Amino acid sequence: MNRLAGNRLGGKIAFVTAAGGAIAGATARLFAAEGAAVACVDISAETVKQTAADITAAGGQALPLVCDVTDEDAVRDAVAQTVAEFGGLTTVFNAAAYRDPQAAALDIDVATWRKTLDVNVTGMFIVIQQALPHMQKAGGGSIVNISSIYGARVAKKRPAYSASKAAVRLLTQSIAIDYAEDNIRCNAILPGPIETPRLLVTNKSMDAVVDRHRPHLPAGRLGQPEEIARTALFLASDASSFTSGADHFVDGGYNAI
Amino acid sequence: MGLLDGKVAMVTAAGGNIAGATARLFAAEGARVACLDIAGEDVAKTAADIEEVGGKAIAIPCDVSDEDAVKDAIAETVSTFGTITTLFNAAAFSEARHRLADMPVEMWRAVIDVNLTGMFIVCKYTIPEMQKAGGGSIINVSSIYGKVAARERPAYCSSKGGVRMMTKSIAVDYAEDNIRCNAILPGPIEGPRMLARNPSIAAVVERHGTRLHMKRLGRSSEIAQTALFLASDESSFTSGADMAVDAGYTAF
Repeated sequence: MNRLAGNRLGGKIAFVTAAGGAIAGATARLFAAEGAAVACVDISAETVKQTAADITAAGGQALPLVCDVTDEDAVRDAVAQTVAEFGGLTTVFNAAAYRDPQAAALDIDVATWRKTLDVNVTGMFIVIQQALPHMQKAGGGSIVNISSIYGARVAKKRPAYSASKAAVRLLTQSIAIDYAEDNIRCNAILPGPIETPRLLVTNKSMDAVVDRHRPHLPAGRLGQPEEIARTALFLASDASSFTSGADHFVDGGYNAI
Repeated sequence: MGLLDGKVAMVTAAGGNIAGATARLFAAEGARVACLDIAGEDVAKTAADIEEVGGKAIAIPCDVSDEDAVKDAIAETVSTFGTITTLFNAAAFSEARHRLADMPVEMWRAVIDVNLTGMFIVCKYTIPEMQKAGGGSIINVSSIYGKVAARERPAYCSSKGGVRMMTKSIAVDYAEDNIRCNAILPGPIEGPRMLARNPSIAAVVERHGTRLHMKRLGRSSEIAQTALFLASDESSFTSGADMAVDAGYTAF
């Protein structure tokens, strides 16, 4: 075993949203393997229980919590349960997001726009708002928000998703500035196309996805969920102690061209 | 086991504060390190520090703007350690304060020659070694002043902006060779060079005022830790990216 299974998050208590999904699931497992106690939060009970069970089976500490991040009371309860179970909260990984169906502005109904913004931006705001007081009590912490390359470069026919992910970047910077004196850092990750089962809902194969994104994928491959997880680990750990309010592209060069 | 086991790193400006800390951390994480600097005495000290704690290092005095000297340094690194997989490019200096119209052309050329052309030369002769090795990671030190302007430093700011785009160009052109290339944009970092220009570290913090949100300067170790992430396989899908290490300086 190399240091990948180490103690880079020893003593940390993490709150991971969308932990039933591919990216946040990989992140929750890595955080736990690196010594964090992890509250695994997802709207889907079945998938989040699986993530928590995987962590526990590997000897880690996990608590599955079913929660819709747009529901303020539910988030308050989930944070309270985390604190009751693990004794505090130091680390947040915000990944819950809704991917609206492809439609240009004229063809998107206002309800879909609102739902996308509600989950992707307001849900993140609610989680941060509930978590911050506990991080202040803990003497500091690290918040990692999942934006997207589509928060910097537009995706075709995704006005709501693109706008929501751009908003995440500035929400991130705002938190970074306002809570720096509390020793709370806040950073955004902007993933490029990542190989997840969700991609196959709208594409016939992973190769088709790579083809569609050329020439933006100069390495000719998609990213893996673990590659986002390792970046999140860096940002969650004390190795990134002077890094805050920053965008972290993990996109294989997508945004460079 | 270290995060850089099996890697061979070349580190420029390794006699300095930031690159010296990076060379030491790379070595502690298992890399063999070629330490380059124009100042022979400083770089010998960094290499000696590494050897003293059981790491592997060689010291090579080298002016990165001298093409022949860089070729020789790379040849010496390859003959000693067999390959180069990792490059940390930090050699740079800043002009004395001038607004553009008052700056002698020679002063402009000197800054661009080290900060941008020197980095180009080091990359140019290192990339073929990385291709032979089957891949690698290049980390170029830009600056927050490659993104926002510092007053009265037109050459430094231009050179650091150039570093960001050169980084992306390399990332795109050599992705198929499994070579990644990223830029670090440090905010104000506490170091001895700073005290040559300012009465105290506290005065520097004061001068940066509301943009230093943590009310402190960064540490060389914090740049080194970011470089370690980028040098290691932990960042395997990260390329062509700017990594600000500035506690929110450029966010504000």
